[in-house]
Amino acid sequence: MERSWQPKILAFLCNWCSYAGADLAGTSRVQYPPNIRVIRVPCSGRINPLFILKALQSGIDGVLVSGCHPGDCHYISGNYVGRRKSATLKRFLEYLGIEAGRVQFSWVSAAEGIKFSQVVGEVTEDIRKLGPAKHFVKKAESIGQRPKRSEHLA
Amino acid sequence: MKWNPAKLEKKDLGAFFQDLMGKYDLYAPVRLTEGVSVYKKIDDPGEVDLSNPNPQKPLKEVFFSQSEVMFRYEKVEKRDRVTSTEDVQRERVALGARPCDIQAIFLLDQVFSGKDYTDVYYLQKRKRTTIIGLACNAPLTTCFCSSMDGGPFVRRGSDLFLIDLGKAYLVEFLTEKGEAFSRNPFFKEVDKADINLANEIEERALKKADASLSVEGIEKRLDEMSESPFWDRAQEKCIGCRVCTYLCPTCHCFDIADEALNERGQRVRNWDSCLSALYSLETSGHNPRPTGRERTRQRLMHKFNYFPKNFGPMACVGCGRCIIYCPANFDIRQTLKEIIAK
Amino acid sequence: MIQQRIREKAKELLSKKELDLIIGFGEGTLPLRASPLFIRNPEEADRLIWNSFCENNLATYLHKFNRFKVGLVVKGCDSRSVIALSLEKRFELDRLFLIGVPCQRMVDRRRVKKAVPGEILHAREEGDKIIVKGENFEIALKRDDFLYPSCQACIHRNPAKANILVADPVEEFSLAEAFPDVREFERMSPGERWKFFEKESSRCIRCYACREACPMCYCAECFVDSSNPKWIEKGLAPSDLEFYHMVRAYHQTGRCSGCGACERACPMEIRLTYLTQKLNQDVKELFEFETGIDSDNRPPLSTYDTDDRQEFIK
Repeated sequence: MERSWQPKILAFLCNWCSYAGADLAGTSRVQYPPNIRVIRVPCSGRINPLFILKALQSGIDGVLVSGCHPGDCHYISGNYVGRRKSATLKRFLEYLGIEAGRVQFSWVSAAEGIKFSQVVGEVTEDIRKLGPAKHFVKKAESIGQRPKRSEHLA
Repeated sequence: MKWNPAKLEKKDLGAFFQDLMGKYDLYAPVRLTEGVSVYKKIDDPGEVDLSNPNPQKPLKEVFFSQSEVMFRYEKVEKRDRVTSTEDVQRERVALGARPCDIQAIFLLDQVFSGKDYTDVYYLQKRKRTTIIGLACNAPLTTCFCSSMDGGPFVRRGSDLFLIDLGKAYLVEFLTEKGEAFSRNPFFKEVDKADINLANEIEERALKKADASLSVEGIEKRLDEMSESPFWDRAQEKCIGCRVCTYLCPTCHCFDIADEALNERGQRVRNWDSCLSALYSLETSGHNPRPTGRERTRQRLMHKFNYFPKNFGPMACVGCGRCIIYCPANFDIRQTLKEIIAK
Repeated sequence: MIQQRIREKAKELLSKKELDLIIGFGEGTLPLRASPLFIRNPEEADRLIWNSFCENNLATYLHKFNRFKVGLVVKGCDSRSVIALSLEKRFELDRLFLIGVPCQRMVDRRRVKKAVPGEILHAREEGDKIIVKGENFEIALKRDDFLYPSCQACIHRNPAKANILVADPVEEFSLAEAFPDVREFERMSPGERWKFFEKESSRCIRCYACREACPMCYCAECFVDSSNPKWIEKGLAPSDLEFYHMVRAYHQTGRCSGCGACERACPMEIRLTYLTQKLNQDVKELFEFETGIDSDNRPPLSTYDTDDRQEFIK
């Protein structure tokens, strides 16, 4: 049976706001697409741009980075620092030709369970339209792996 | 010469390469962009480019490639399956190799076929490759092969030897392995005029080649200099990149790394460079070559003292690549002259 | 004459023993090259030269000599690197003496080489021309037609901060004329852009000449050497080559002076400045920041503004 491609999306959620927001979406039984895999980080400012690049290289189809709203960061200014990194990285990746929309950013607070589900829905749709990650993906054979059906490592 | 030479017309080159590719894996210089060529396996005869006398990646790439898988492993039903990769599937031809690069292969032969350890990856390729050398009609001013026991028309190591006559190549058959090619349909008869022209070209090239640099006695000089403040000055402008070592036809240091994911992986050998700060860094944090001073000294000592001590010849064939491509204009000829003069 | 003034100043500083070492340029051993020169005595000052082949960013040597009182011959871009390094606390600015040269812009030796029909045996500058001689040719080329890409629309040719300037400041291009490579690259579609980047990085042989030539790359452990986490392997997988180039450029965000030393050092002639130019342009547009111009401005990624743009955030 041929399985049709499903987007695989990595979501970096800050512990204090976005992860709690995602949790709230769950406990509120709000439906959202199951395509995201969550990695909890203490703060959106902790995101090393290399995480995003590594994800794309591994064949992840899209990355979402979500943190606290400006002014609400648990660590006061982490999200501000992260915001600058996000802005410059996003522009740089799109400049290189990585499709706009593969890497997305959001502010989701602990009370915004519904917003979280909406963001995930939008991001998943965007990635679905863009198709599987093709640029930059590390070919499986290059590390001694037999190429899988979709050629991704992930 | 035991066998009569032949002629290969340049208009037949594409077809000749195609013919070779039918029976052999053909390795030749390929132009990646103007001014940049590397030795690689040819997929399309049109990509062969013999015009650059110093391809950035030298001939050693054919026998000792920059990144080479040593073996692959995977878990199949809880047992380990290892697939080694040293076997060479098809016979190979390395075409367009310059005498300096070929001379370097002899040095690498000594490294990779030691009495205690032989490197199967290198030796398998070496055994199964026919070398078609190409003479240098116009040595560059950066070439000093003639000062390093070599020369633009040195034939040693070539199974076949090409001399560019303009519209054709003169093809000399120098070994049994090379002679086996002489019945190739693209090899035509030569006439006296071709041979005379080849001799003229050779004479001119030898006149042009720089044989002025004398490294006589350098081994002994270096023995006396290991603590000399000379090295502080000599290394000043070196920025510690790896260009000279990677482009050098004789350099042969490598690093072994495992690349793995879940139950599968491979062990890979990659070129390494003694000029890298991390090269001799030990797990404890101690680094026996902590600064550029020690590393530059090591490079010169290895090439002109340790290697001759261990194997005989100097580990430099005078190709000039390190001089042309060094970002900081470190000129080894200048350094050698200063050492001799001390 | 710039060269004469550099020599005089160097002689003076070394005679007065105000500096341990002066790093400048001397005659190269190849045509179209100048060589980094390190002098310690006033008598050596006459070996210093100045011409359109002084292409290296000498600030990269400051890491080697950071225990000494060093004089440095700097072009506009080089002085910006020095200031950027001092902001990152690599050394104290007052232990340095910057001999500033308003830059005439440097000649791209590789383009010159490709414009002539044989090996160049000799090259000299004469006014606005470069005269190159080979075995069978002598050609005069218009200097300004053969500049490095990073020099073509440089908007900071005058050293931003120097202890002395050895010539009158030159007229600068306007910001609107800066970043021509970025504009040209952006005319391509995303697919074409990726293809271009992929093709350029595919030639990479991981020699790290770009990294070592760059004054801002001084990490004791570069990300390529990190084994835990291991970001990329050490081989030539195309994806790893792309990763390396993306990240090396990105690590210069807010730190790059646009000197182009990376591109000049590359033996495989990989284009690199179109990457860093984009980052420089963004940093200017988003944060009003230009590397090394104002020694009080913090590097942009080390700080923030509560009003930073965030239109891209959901």
